[in-house]
Amino acid sequence: MTTKGKVLIIDDDPDFVEVVRTALETDDFEVFSAADGSQGLALMRQEKPDLVFLDVMMAHPTEGVDVSEAMMEDPDLRDIRVVMITAITDTQYVGDFPTDRYLHVDQFLTKPVPLSELLELTNRILKK
Amino acid sequence: MEEQFPLQAELIERIDWLISLRWLAVVGTLLTIVVVNSYFPGLLLQSPLMTTIAAIALYNFLFFLYARQLRPHVSTVLRLRQSTVFAYVQIALDLIALTTLLHFAGGVENPFALFFIFHVIIASILLSPTASFLAALLASSLFAAMAFLEYGGLIPHYNLVGLVDPDLYRHGSYVLASVLGMAITLFLVVYMTSSIGARLRARTNELMEVSRSHEAKSQELEELNAKLQKLDAARTKFMVTVTHELRAPVATIYSCLDLVLGGFASREKEQQVLERAQRRATELLELVKDLLELTEARQAEVEVEEAEPIQLADVLHNVDELMRVEAENKDLFLSVDIDTAPPPVRAKPEHMKAVWTNLISNAIKYTEPGGIIVASLTHDSDHVIGVVRDTGIGIAAEDLPRVFEEFYRTANARAISPQGTGVGLAIVKRMIENYGGKIWLESELGQGSKFTFMLPRAR
Repeated sequence: MTTKGKVLIIDDDPDFVEVVRTALETDDFEVFSAADGSQGLALMRQEKPDLVFLDVMMAHPTEGVDVSEAMMEDPDLRDIRVVMITAITDTQYVGDFPTDRYLHVDQFLTKPVPLSELLELTNRILKK
Repeated sequence: MEEQFPLQAELIERIDWLISLRWLAVVGTLLTIVVVNSYFPGLLLQSPLMTTIAAIALYNFLFFLYARQLRPHVSTVLRLRQSTVFAYVQIALDLIALTTLLHFAGGVENPFALFFIFHVIIASILLSPTASFLAALLASSLFAAMAFLEYGGLIPHYNLVGLVDPDLYRHGSYVLASVLGMAITLFLVVYMTSSIGARLRARTNELMEVSRSHEAKSQELEELNAKLQKLDAARTKFMVTVTHELRAPVATIYSCLDLVLGGFASREKEQQVLERAQRRATELLELVKDLLELTEARQAEVEVEEAEPIQLADVLHNVDELMRVEAENKDLFLSVDIDTAPPPVRAKPEHMKAVWTNLISNAIKYTEPGGIIVASLTHDSDHVIGVVRDTGIGIAAEDLPRVFEEFYRTANARAISPQGTGVGLAIVKRMIENYGGKIWLESELGQGSKFTFMLPRAR
C-alpha cells in the first residue's frame, strides 16, 4: 500500500504520540515515533521521514531545539521538514528559548494541537 | 573616625586656616605700623615690633612646614592628638606674640588690646570649651601681667607719644579697670562662642546620626528587596514548571477527545483512546492532589507549634495496611519493623502519613517484582528515626543531590513510570524539615535505595 508520506513523531508523552499516530495513520501516512532526541535522530537516518513533529521540552527543556540544530548540521537530514510542538505559550519562558539561533523549523504548533489542523498542515507540507 | 569626632576632624581642617590667618595678621600688622609711622613719625618703636613680627613670621613658617608633614598621615587618633596639641601651641604663642606687640606699642594704652577677643574667638571655634576658657585665662593673665609689671615699673613702658596721657599706665584704677574689663570680656566671649558652637555641633551630630541611620535602613531595604526578588524568581520558575506539568496531560486528554469526536480514529481504536484519556485524567487528579499536598507542606511551617505529640508507629501501621495490597500485587515483600516503645513526635498525623506513603509507594514503584521493602522505626535519645529501604533500581550518584527537588525525576524513574509527578520526595522533605527533622538518602544504581529521616522526639 502506498502512503502519502513518512512522518516521525518525537515526543516523550506516549499518549500524545499514540493520538497523533492514530490520526495520521487513518489519513494514510506512515508513522514512526521516538521518545527522545537521540532515538529520534537515529530513526531519521534510518527511515528518512518526510516530516518530523518535534516536541521542544522533553527530558531537558530545549531537547527539541538541540535536535533541530543537529538536523541542520547533517546534510542528510537538512531537507526533512520540521514542525515544532510546544506546551509553552507563557512569555515568561521565552527567555529560555533560543530565538536568536536559526532553527530548522517550518512551523510551530502549541499543545493541545487540534488534529484537523495537524492533518491539514501535514497534507499541505507534504504536498509541496 | 573623623565622623565620630567631628570636633577634632574640624580641627584638622582649621589648622591650615589658622596658619593662613596668621600670614594675614603679619601683613596687616606691618601695614598698620607703616601707616601709623607715616602719620605719626616716631610714635612707634620700629625695631622691637619688627623683630616680634619677624618672630611670628618665622614660627608661622615652621608651623606651615609641620602641618605639611602632618598631612600625609591617615586620620588616626594619634593625628588628632597631635593636631590638638599643635593648636594649643599655636594659640598660646599667638597670645604671647600679641602681648609682646602690645607691650612695645603702649601696653595698656593701646586700643588694639581688643585683638585678644579675636584670639579667644578662634580658640573657642577650634578647641573644647575647657581649653577655650584656659585660653581666655592665659590671655587675661598675660594682659594683666603686662599691665601690672609696667605699672610697677618692673618692665619698661613705651608711651604712645602724643596719643595718650603718658602717665595713664600709672593710674592704678585705670589699669585695674582695663585688666578686669579685658578678663570679663574674654570670658564672656568664650562662653557665648562655645555655647553657640556646642549647639551647632550637637545639631551636626544629630544630622549625621540621622543620615547614618537612613543609610543603614536603605541598605536593609535593598537587601530585603534582593531577597524578595529572588523569592519571586523562584516562585515564577515554580509556576512555569507547574503550568507545564498541568498542561501536558490536559493537552493529551484534549487530543484524545479530539481524535474520537473528530472521527479521526476507527471504532475499535476509539475505546482505546478514551481509556488513555481516562488514565491521563486520573494522573492529572493525582498531580493536583500532590500539588495541594506540596502547597500545604510549604505552608505547614506555621502550624508546627500547634501539633500534638503522635506515635509515628501508628501512622506507619495505617500506611502499611493501605499499601500492602499494592505491594503484594506486584509480588513485593513489604516488611514493617518497629522497635519497642518509640517515643512520640510533634507533628500532624496527615503530614506523617504523607511521608510514609510517599516513601513506601516510591519503593513499590521502583522495585522489580520479587524485591523486598523494609520500613522501620527506631529511636535514639533525641530523635525518632524512620527508614524505608528497598532492593529497587537505585539512584545514580549524579542524581542523588537532586531527587528532593520539586518535579525532578531521574531518567530511570521516567523509563519505569513515565507519568510520575516528581513531587513526592519534595513533599516528604518539606514535611520532615517543617517539623525540625532531616532526611537523607543512600543509594547506588541497581543496588536499591535507603531513605532515612530523623524527627526530634516530643518532650
